[in-house]
Amino acid sequence: MFNDLKRIGLEACVLIAFGVLVGLSLNHQLLLDAFSGHLVSLPRQIAQESVPIALPIPALIDEVQQVAASGGLIVDARSPEQYAAGHIDGAVSLPLVEIDAALPDFIARIDKNRTLVIYCSGFGCPDSFDLAVRLIESGYTDVRVFEGGYPEWRDAGLPVAGDEQ
Amino acid sequence: MKRFFYHLARLTLALVFVYAGAVKMQDVVAFAGHVAAYQLLPYAMNYLVAATLPYVEFLAGVMLLLNARVRPALLVIGAMTLVFMAALVSVLLRGLAIDCGCFDPGGGQDVTAGVALLRDIALMVLVVLVWWLRVRIEERGMRNEERGMRKEE
Repeated sequence: MFNDLKRIGLEACVLIAFGVLVGLSLNHQLLLDAFSGHLVSLPRQIAQESVPIALPIPALIDEVQQVAASGGLIVDARSPEQYAAGHIDGAVSLPLVEIDAALPDFIARIDKNRTLVIYCSGFGCPDSFDLAVRLIESGYTDVRVFEGGYPEWRDAGLPVAGDEQ
Repeated sequence: MKRFFYHLARLTLALVFVYAGAVKMQDVVAFAGHVAAYQLLPYAMNYLVAATLPYVEFLAGVMLLLNARVRPALLVIGAMTLVFMAALVSVLLRGLAIDCGCFDPGGGQDVTAGVALLRDIALMVLVVLVWWLRVRIEERGMRNEERGMRKEE
């Protein structure tokens, strides 16, 4: 009986190990990107569909801090509810879902030469990229995308603001 | 009759896990987002889980489907379900309103942690049932063999 259980346990471990190996080998590129912090996985459909005049520059987390410290503006592309629940400290809300209504006011307030860093929920969330493209089309000259987004910022223990904090 | 219920429960469990694994393999990045929503793991670890878990689910489901290595597969499935249940309980305790991410990561239908927990309890019942029926069937098979041997003597 005990030997039986030992064999079953061992075979279960082999089963798990095999599944993990298959998963790792099929997704190794994604994992390398995730663990090195280079999450530059532009959503496929956007990369194919539109070819804007200039593409936004990806920004890593240190760069976002530098930009914020040197007078740049962090822009939250997520919904107003998500922004209210929690956002990067000092970020302004410009939800992609309300872009047509909110853009004129944003353009009136923010200088076109100011450095902008756009973020959303990380993990291949396309909103920050879409918003960055819209802002470049509107004439902003230095627009960057923080691909790690709110989750990476929060998990790094950097300052956040909002209801859930 | 026992055999019928054994195969029914085994196939049900197998199909649930084959489907769950297959559908999540299609979009590992989206599934990573669902794992991240649980806020249990550091940022990059969510990707590691998302990149491996669906394949283990799928493989264990396939073993059950093939009626091969049934108990090791049950052990893997039972262990995974226990981990899912623990994660869901922690979601309920923290009052997070997230989709469980159990199946289709791209699908719009949100399943709350409470419903997912009930579903996981049902899966656990199936795991125990299949294991128990399997043991009973094997015991009976052994008794029949002994009887057969005695006749030959």
